[in-house]
Amino acid sequence: MSQETIKPKLKLAVYWGAACGGCCVSVLDTHEKLLDIVAAADPVFWPIAMDVKYKDVENMPDKSIDLTLFNGAVRNSENKHMAELLRQKSKILVAYGSCAYMGGIPGLANFFSKDEIFKRAYEETESTVNAEHVIPLPLVTVKEGSLEIPVMFNDVFPLNQIVDVDYYIPGCPPQSERLIEVFTAVVTGTGLPPAGSVVGANDKTNCDECKRKKSDNKKVKRFYRPWEIQDDKETCFIEQGVICMGPATRGGCGVRCVDGNSPCRGCYGPPSGASDPGAKMMAAIGTMIDANNPGEIDEIIETIVDPAGLFYRFSLPGSILGRKVL
Amino acid sequence: MEEPRIGVYVCWCGTNISKMVDVEAVTKEVSTLPYVVLSKNYKYMCSDPGQDLIIKDIKLHNLNRVVVAACSPRIHELTFRNACEKAGINPYLFEMANIREQDSWVHTDRNEATKKAIDLVIAAIRRVRFHEPLQKRSVNVDPATLIIGGGISGMTAALEIANAGKQVYLVERADHLGGQVARFDLTFPHLSSARQMLLPMIRKVENHPMIRVYLKTELQEVKGYIGNFRARLQFMGTDQPEITFGNIIAAVGLKPFDPSVIEEYSYGKFPDVITSLEFEDKLRAGRILTKYGKEPRNLAIIHCVGSRNKKYHEYCSRVCCMVALKFVHEIRAALPDANIFEIYADMRAYGKGHEEFYAMTTHKQIIFLMYDQQKRLPVIREAHRDDDCNMLIEMSELLSGIDIEVPVDMVILMVNMEAHDNVRDVVRTIGVSLCGNQFFIEKHPKLDPVATTTGGVYIVGTCQGPKDIPDSVSQAKAAAARILGTIAQGSVPVEVTTAMVNESLCCGCQTCISVCPYTAVSFDEIKKVSVVNEVLCKGCGTCGGCCPAGAITCKHFTDRQILSEIEGIMSMSY
Repeated sequence: MSQETIKPKLKLAVYWGAACGGCCVSVLDTHEKLLDIVAAADPVFWPIAMDVKYKDVENMPDKSIDLTLFNGAVRNSENKHMAELLRQKSKILVAYGSCAYMGGIPGLANFFSKDEIFKRAYEETESTVNAEHVIPLPLVTVKEGSLEIPVMFNDVFPLNQIVDVDYYIPGCPPQSERLIEVFTAVVTGTGLPPAGSVVGANDKTNCDECKRKKSDNKKVKRFYRPWEIQDDKETCFIEQGVICMGPATRGGCGVRCVDGNSPCRGCYGPPSGASDPGAKMMAAIGTMIDANNPGEIDEIIETIVDPAGLFYRFSLPGSILGRKVL
Repeated sequence: MEEPRIGVYVCWCGTNISKMVDVEAVTKEVSTLPYVVLSKNYKYMCSDPGQDLIIKDIKLHNLNRVVVAACSPRIHELTFRNACEKAGINPYLFEMANIREQDSWVHTDRNEATKKAIDLVIAAIRRVRFHEPLQKRSVNVDPATLIIGGGISGMTAALEIANAGKQVYLVERADHLGGQVARFDLTFPHLSSARQMLLPMIRKVENHPMIRVYLKTELQEVKGYIGNFRARLQFMGTDQPEITFGNIIAAVGLKPFDPSVIEEYSYGKFPDVITSLEFEDKLRAGRILTKYGKEPRNLAIIHCVGSRNKKYHEYCSRVCCMVALKFVHEIRAALPDANIFEIYADMRAYGKGHEEFYAMTTHKQIIFLMYDQQKRLPVIREAHRDDDCNMLIEMSELLSGIDIEVPVDMVILMVNMEAHDNVRDVVRTIGVSLCGNQFFIEKHPKLDPVATTTGGVYIVGTCQGPKDIPDSVSQAKAAAARILGTIAQGSVPVEVTTAMVNESLCCGCQTCISVCPYTAVSFDEIKKVSVVNEVLCKGCGTCGGCCPAGAITCKHFTDRQILSEIEGIMSMSY
């Protein structure tokens, strides 16, 4: 028997907050490498893959989990409770994926209030018939007993606004190769940067790796959505008038979207020098508008569809902006 | 970073601040903030005792950061920076809060003004914590000067500098010196000959040992920065050896407006509708004759052609009214019996001796007719065969309120002065900015009218805006004085608070390159990163603001500093 197998295996947890499930799948997406992962670590809690109850986690000794990958944002009282519980039980807590890192897609809800969201979801959507205006309540008592569901917060939070986070692995979802790199670093205990760092991603933004031709000639007379132009497949998207978040987004994904002829959407979040990727990208795009009179400038800006959602698609709760002022 | 030890000083400015701001309350409120070692107030912080207070405290309490809450930093930032330097700390470890212009002077509620002062001081304290020491830098100045344009402005500046014994390169696109003035006959208001004034000047320039004149030559490219420029010139399409120089004067002038776009005047259609410059040609030739060689019996002079009209140019060309009056004198002398009509929109006689000149002209038996520039321009049309004149001008006479017809044989259009067609090329080559009217923008409209925001580049004469000869000459001499000043110094200080590219973050997107108004940012094709030339950089912050990767930092205006300042100002909840 080799030395490694005698060494006690790491304890691994993977949990989801306000998430789509994609991050959990990205762990499975390691394909045959998953066998290496389970060879080095025992999953002790991973709802998508195994049946473990809350109380089982509560009964674990503090700091007994070596590594927890928490994906999803914190949206309700259950997410918050689990974030706090897992922080208490884990040696290393990783905000895994865009939602845990900066709020992600669920974070776009911060452009609305909870009441507005409930009204839209439970009363106004085209497929809803709700004449009695029934909305979910945290506690409902009927004659058979009472039912409790988590309380939805007014705001969506990234994980680090709730608990201390050791590392961030960005991505929607993170690329599995990068997870393996980080996981290997944890297992070997080498090559991990100081706590608080973003890992599994590059220092430079996507343009650095992007193979498209770039110049300083970024002058835009109107903005297009990707389907509105015939992409020449070699010129920088922005120079073709398509907003690409590449310049404001950390590399690490391997520029997969752009390689697939789709502009970067920004899921890897901002580089270390930029605290608010939306503001940074808007400032950059502002310089490219090729007009001098206010009327024409307004017309060009009008061609940007849903600017708030576009520029803050993955980062609203974790940005300086945070949310729409209520 | 060493632990910040901040000293805070709140100024009374006599009663200027203390009347509207409770200075004691501000001093007390901020004294307990983190890293604040001491907080004091004094009647006049800018006075010698006020500055001494700071200097002594820095030494005694080992302060390494200083905040002064007083007037605008435009007035005394330098004063306090110098005080810090005297006490041995880097002058950039200082921050000023403006509680006078932005607070006590503009508010009437003492309580609210005091709260605002506290916010402003807290912001400065939060910011100064993240200040970093910066080092002053300077560059040597090449004593030669490049002057672009051989008109009266360019020649004046050239002589001024050359007479001080310094080399001048004078580049002129045309095949002769003299510019627009060479086309003038007499000058206003003294009716002296332009030629007699200009010719000796041209001779002096051409024969001056320190002036090298390049005629029929165009500027291809200018590279470098204040004190150290170099240029490529092209003489009739052939490249010339590169020249090096330390300063640049742009004296490219303006050109006459082409009135053929104004339908009402039929310029180009009627041969005896001519521009003021074409009329000058006739005057210099000594004969005022119509196309068919006859002496005109009726002459009209139409003012504001292409000026003060949103369709053409909104601005006033400043000199045409006086030139029009000058024409009256010249016509009257040549054609004593002719009828002269001054068709004007407003008579502008603002300069020295100009109003008197106007008064004098009114005695020359001429008829002044006023039109409304905003409502309807006069219309020139052909006369009937049986009229005893060639053309008729139809107009609504504003003062009488009557629609009239004016008989004319010759019409002189007082054309506006406008930018040359290639002005944008010049602007790009030398790195200056244009205003909406395509005039070069000065560094400060009142206090620095011949400098530009690009160090070592000066603007003189009409390219800065329409003006007459004395104003052009004054500007030329002013710019020459400025340049001789830097040459005498031998070196000039350059901006300290420049932008800096973090090469490990720059992704090479090149957003920053075209936004730089000083062409200070370029792209390193080998490293694939942007590079800031720190001598060209003026620290405007545009590149840092637009860098999507957060790779560009503007010294003294880092995100950390600005955000801390904002957090500070938002931190009090009353």
